[in-house]
Amino acid sequence: MSLVTRETPLQTAQRALALAGPGEVQVTVVRERSLMSRFARSAPTQATAVDDTTVEILVVREHHAALAGTNRLDDEALLATARNADRAALAAALGGAGTHPGLAEPTAPAPPRGGSDDDEAQLDPARAGAALRATFAVAAEHGLEAFGAWTAGAVQTAIASSSGAQLEEEVTDSFMKVVCRDGQGRSGYASATATTADAIDPAVLAARAASKVRDAPAAELGPGSYPVVLEPEAVGLLLEFLGSLAFNGLAHAEGRGALSGRLATTVAAPAIDLSDMPLSARTLPRAFDLEGVPKASLQLIADGIAQAVVHDLRSAALAGAGTRSTGHAVAPGGAPDGPAPTNLVLRGGSARDVEELCAPIERGIYVTRLWYVNTVREKETLLTGMTREGTFLIEDGQITRPLRDVRFTDSVLRLLAATEALTREQRLVSEGEFYGRRFAYGVLCPALRAGGFRVTGATTT
Amino acid sequence: MLDLLTDVLSRVPARCSYAEARHVATDEEELLVRNATVDRIASTSADGVGVRVRSGGGWGFAATREATRAGVEHALARALAIAASQPAAPAGPRVPCPPARGHWASPLERDPFDVSHEDKLELLFAAEQALRGDSRIVRSDATCESRRVQTAFASTEGAACSQERVECGAAISVIAVDGDELQVRSYPGAHGGSAACAGWEHVLGFDLAGNAPRIAAEAIELLSAPDCPAGRRTVILGAEQLALQIHESIGHALELDRMLLLEAAYAGTSWVSPADLGALRYGSQHLNITADATLCGGLGTFGWDDEGVAAARTALIEDGVLRAALSDRGSAAAIGLAHSGGCARADGFARQPIVRMTNVSIEPGEAGTLDDLVADTDDGLYLETNRSWSIDDRRLHFQFGTEVAREVRAGKLGGLLRNPSYAGVTPQFWSGLDAVCSRAQWRLWGVGNCGKGEPGQVMRVSHGTAPARFRDVQVGVA
Repeated sequence: MSLVTRETPLQTAQRALALAGPGEVQVTVVRERSLMSRFARSAPTQATAVDDTTVEILVVREHHAALAGTNRLDDEALLATARNADRAALAAALGGAGTHPGLAEPTAPAPPRGGSDDDEAQLDPARAGAALRATFAVAAEHGLEAFGAWTAGAVQTAIASSSGAQLEEEVTDSFMKVVCRDGQGRSGYASATATTADAIDPAVLAARAASKVRDAPAAELGPGSYPVVLEPEAVGLLLEFLGSLAFNGLAHAEGRGALSGRLATTVAAPAIDLSDMPLSARTLPRAFDLEGVPKASLQLIADGIAQAVVHDLRSAALAGAGTRSTGHAVAPGGAPDGPAPTNLVLRGGSARDVEELCAPIERGIYVTRLWYVNTVREKETLLTGMTREGTFLIEDGQITRPLRDVRFTDSVLRLLAATEALTREQRLVSEGEFYGRRFAYGVLCPALRAGGFRVTGATTT
Repeated sequence: MLDLLTDVLSRVPARCSYAEARHVATDEEELLVRNATVDRIASTSADGVGVRVRSGGGWGFAATREATRAGVEHALARALAIAASQPAAPAGPRVPCPPARGHWASPLERDPFDVSHEDKLELLFAAEQALRGDSRIVRSDATCESRRVQTAFASTEGAACSQERVECGAAISVIAVDGDELQVRSYPGAHGGSAACAGWEHVLGFDLAGNAPRIAAEAIELLSAPDCPAGRRTVILGAEQLALQIHESIGHALELDRMLLLEAAYAGTSWVSPADLGALRYGSQHLNITADATLCGGLGTFGWDDEGVAAARTALIEDGVLRAALSDRGSAAAIGLAHSGGCARADGFARQPIVRMTNVSIEPGEAGTLDDLVADTDDGLYLETNRSWSIDDRRLHFQFGTEVAREVRAGKLGGLLRNPSYAGVTPQFWSGLDAVCSRAQWRLWGVGNCGKGEPGQVMRVSHGTAPARFRDVQVGVA
């Protein structure tokens, strides 16, 4: 191994910063080590190990920012990358006045964070193999086949900047999902997200997924509005979308956000209390954002009243009136789509469990998870998507039969306004999707019951 | 690099029945002018090696950015360790494939990386300026992207090939807001436009500045346009929307790994089964679909796929009847095919190949131009430019929204209608296809955001389409 691979990400960032020379420069180094093991029909299918480091150099000239990246760590490559960024910033400056507010002011180095697991142990392929074996055994006990994925990752992020930032942290994460399926195609889903693989029990997940495969014909529901109980996986995905549609400070400042003109007004039921809590150990904690701004808790909805939106440096500057970044940049220099909350927490309610949520429902829908959700109309937070792998009919207060998956087209804010009860227990949930460089995030939330869930279609045989 | 990969693979241990190594170097550049300023100017260069092995019936894959002998050897050792740790499973067959040899490069007139930032920004500023002028337009974007991917591939079966693909694209879009109403308009397509495997000439062909005033005016008009009425209607889909319709309800449904349940836990399965091949009526007799990795300019065009299988053209649906599926070497063997469909593709060096679309296209029909098709329609709707999309995990029940609709009455297009949406069930919808415009209207549309696989892979594919007409479609579902 070469000398440079023994550097810490922060040392690499410092070296790149020195090579970049004078000027307004931020270097962001991200090292990912991860392992993902997939399975289908109770057999392993694909297993992927990644070890990669990316260096992104942001140069700001006359309030114009330009970004260049590489995954080569030698001096020659870093110097060339810095020059590319500088040339691009100069070209941008020829176009007139820029709007970048400048780099973040330096902050005290954050304490090291991350999971307690030893990274190398966490990424041991034998651990993945054991997880799969345990899952297959439970599925077999139920006469079912298992499908899913197990993954663990350790991502170190470091930032060094000409304004004096010297930051480094590690986020470890693990995710597993299990789909159990019978010969008729009936299936059930369970998943878990945690900071370490130790916190996830594959056998428990497999048993939970298997319990949702009911040996009964599926009922059908036509289009209409129904009371609904949403498990945390479904709630979490809806809140993720709400994060980008309602709490994105850039969209808000441009007047196209769902809460434009609605801050300090009632937007949800009184029981709804939503925050971004990046330092909470019950989430996947992070100490700083990708502009080097420290993270802190931020209340977004309190007692149903909209409180705030999140900002990065650029959206804060656009918002004006002394608005400051809340530490929600998701890319060096700010992402074109704006900032986003990455550690959403929905406060739990008083319901003991999902059975208690179901109890008052005469005829309604129980949803384990949602799938292929997409935005229909942004300002209304109107989404469409399907239910999947665990949809049931609720009759006279109890889950009675499987239900054919339904298509919903509904507004997240309307659902939160129609929320009647939430479980006490919250669960950290995520989709476990890792496109590009691994960035683990999840939503800590309870299950909830809401009225008027709008069904616009159903699957057919 | 090929020599290094070949040499390392020549030393794999005897227990390893198959190994391949792929070096991928990717250069990407993106420029965005927004609201009269340069909002983003970014470039990335990344390279590394992914090693995939089969050992003792198990598969392992390890990726490293260390494209050196030591790095590749380390990745090989890690891939072998991963394969060894997998629960025992029967070793599935793979269809044979002749060893890929040689070099392939995509054709282009002007390398987009040779065009200066200044020239690109001049083009974008001109287009973006032409979008502005009404205070209700809160966001005006002009963007372009360029991408170069160089691949070297070697395997223990004797493959040793390299290829280079260059892509670029551009787009303009606006968001207009008036009170609670928000409307978007894009050109040449939504979601970043329409990239192609081509040179800068592809971008110049769009005439972004020339189309900008129309796009801006339509966004403003949509703010106060009538809502698209609900009902069962005859619908003419614009070519860009038809590309996504094919992508979601045909392309993904015909991925053989989905039919075999190998993607059941993520991307999903399919309403189609392998037993349907050769017999299933997928749509009307006007439906002819091909997968063609040899098409000039497609994002799904290449010399060899990422298992070293030569690019091919395959008829998937002929006269409405299902003929073939999209396959790789493993899935093809699983259903007894003699050859892979050549659809194994990977997103960069750090992902392993999975079954993907290449260029999945509807063949042109005989309905003439879009004007001819409208003139031939007494009562219907014309829907253009995708705004939202969703489909179930079997690719059966879908719902789409488009940026605009126009009423069609007595063979003429009417004014704009806002918030159009339509829904359907795949085989019923395609059975309603009764006309496809002719070859002169047919063109490739790039889709650059196709997600599949775990860890996630973003694939870039193209779809050739011409406007087409569908009968009895449910409109106004959202």
